[in-house]
Amino acid sequence: MTQDEWLKGKAAVVGIGHTAYGRRGQFVERGSFSLVIEAVQKACDDAGIDPRDIDGWTSYSNDVNQGGLLAAAFGTKRLRFTGMGWGGGGGAMGGAYLYAAMAVATGQADYVAVVRGVTMPDNGRFGRMGTTEGPPYGLMTPGQAFALAARRHMYRFGTTTDDFAQIAINARLMASKNPDARFRDTITLEDHHNSPIICDPLHKLDFCMESEFGTCVILTSAERAKDLKQPPVSLLSAAMGAPPRWGDAMFGGWGGGDENVGGQYAPDDDYVTGGHRTVAEDLYAKAGLGPNDVDVAEIYDHFTPMVIMGIEDFQFCKKGEGGGFVSDGKIGLGPGQLPLNTHGGNLAEVYAHGMTHVFEAVRQIRGTSYNQVPDAEVALVVAGASMAPTSAMLFGK
Amino acid sequence: MSERMPGFGAPHLTALNEGYWKAAGQGRLVIQRCDDCGTHRHVPVEICYQCHSRNWHWDEVPGTGRVFSYTWVDRPLSPELAQAGVYNISVVELDGVVGTIRLLTNVFGVDKDTLECDLPVKVAFDRVDDEIALPVFEPAFALNEAERVSAGKVSA
Ligand SMILES: [Zn+2]
Repeated sequence: MTQDEWLKGKAAVVGIGHTAYGRRGQFVERGSFSLVIEAVQKACDDAGIDPRDIDGWTSYSNDVNQGGLLAAAFGTKRLRFTGMGWGGGGGAMGGAYLYAAMAVATGQADYVAVVRGVTMPDNGRFGRMGTTEGPPYGLMTPGQAFALAARRHMYRFGTTTDDFAQIAINARLMASKNPDARFRDTITLEDHHNSPIICDPLHKLDFCMESEFGTCVILTSAERAKDLKQPPVSLLSAAMGAPPRWGDAMFGGWGGGDENVGGQYAPDDDYVTGGHRTVAEDLYAKAGLGPNDVDVAEIYDHFTPMVIMGIEDFQFCKKGEGGGFVSDGKIGLGPGQLPLNTHGGNLAEVYAHGMTHVFEAVRQIRGTSYNQVPDAEVALVVAGASMAPTSAMLFGK
Repeated sequence: MSERMPGFGAPHLTALNEGYWKAAGQGRLVIQRCDDCGTHRHVPVEICYQCHSRNWHWDEVPGTGRVFSYTWVDRPLSPELAQAGVYNISVVELDGVVGTIRLLTNVFGVDKDTLECDLPVKVAFDRVDDEIALPVFEPAFALNEAERVSAGKVSA
């Protein structure tokens, strides 16, 4: 099913803001609400607006920093809109932007702030799931769940752990130019080989590291955006969803279904994806664009294999050919390459659940990235491969 | 029947799922099945995704299948789990059902050299207490080198 282009270009990002990026536990005493407030102030400074004019708030992944509380804290003149994207992980991030865009495009709000803030006691461990007593089959982490998808991809398509390594190598290379990044040392294939195996086939360097942060992105209508401080970055498309029977396919029943029985029931062809097949179709249809129009791709990289699957899901190569794509030199900043995770991503910049992928897309379109792609006009942001819904966005001039 | 590995919890029984665990306690693998259209479904849920009937029963299935995917947990997350050493978390796709049914499980009796995708397996039961057990799996064939090769070639 295709969808029309009604929303294309009707909303724009006008401000981005974030705190320093911390390791797990670093900002525990301060708390995530304080971090989000700082991020909102910085995003308003970036946009040149008064925080009291933000009349809508959205977020995802059951973020604890509620819009209503933020509105009260800032003295919002007239709160008009809030929205929360269901689901754990970073899957619904694009949904939070879709709600914001629909709200400003239809006059439900003037300025909507998408926020996400995490310190671990507020939100629990992001790298863990399950109960204190231990699950019956020993599945305790997202890393283990995604290792199952990675293994199936290897089995079906011959993908290798060296292919996974290319994603980590690229992330560190990009982060080496990014002063905000947590992990700025470059790594080699040998470093990846020597990195300890956490859950086979995944090495430690295939994992992002839990982080603490406050982040904010402000959207308004294309009309209002024209008169603000920054050149507007247009939201060309946002899509959320999942293929049939996806549910919490990756997680063996965690979250939605019966957590202790577990069911990984997605069709085989969808099992070896990030759950993004239908989202990609809708995303491109709603923008009237395709993969050949994308100048830079910021793909959620909690675990390296999911980036390879994302490259496939968003049609930069055929299904199953993503491993070869990344190992044959098709990612990078050179001619004919796909610029990928040009900020360093979750793996090397900060694990901010996708918000910094949006920041980087905005910087690329503004022309202010640390790893600027010349004349970047269309930037893809893919939210976390996760339980349903997953999501994605296209940004442009 | 085998001893539960340290650190592995017991399932949380609910009105909807207890039949699954109790059948396993009696040495039977049962899967929820629609009374009206015959489609199997798992994890247990109130309604049939094919025909939307709310009438269902526990259906005993053959308990054979193939390994769909697996991971070896080299770095367990709790001291209790670490006592078990490196363990696998596996997904097994079952034979003899209507629709695709995959179970999150453990495969016993294998190591890093012998566990592989498409390995034929059969159900076994890991006892929790007098009433319930966990369905787990073990290789359907002896795993010497020659038999492994032929096992991998058994038709689907
Ligand atoms: Zn039915």
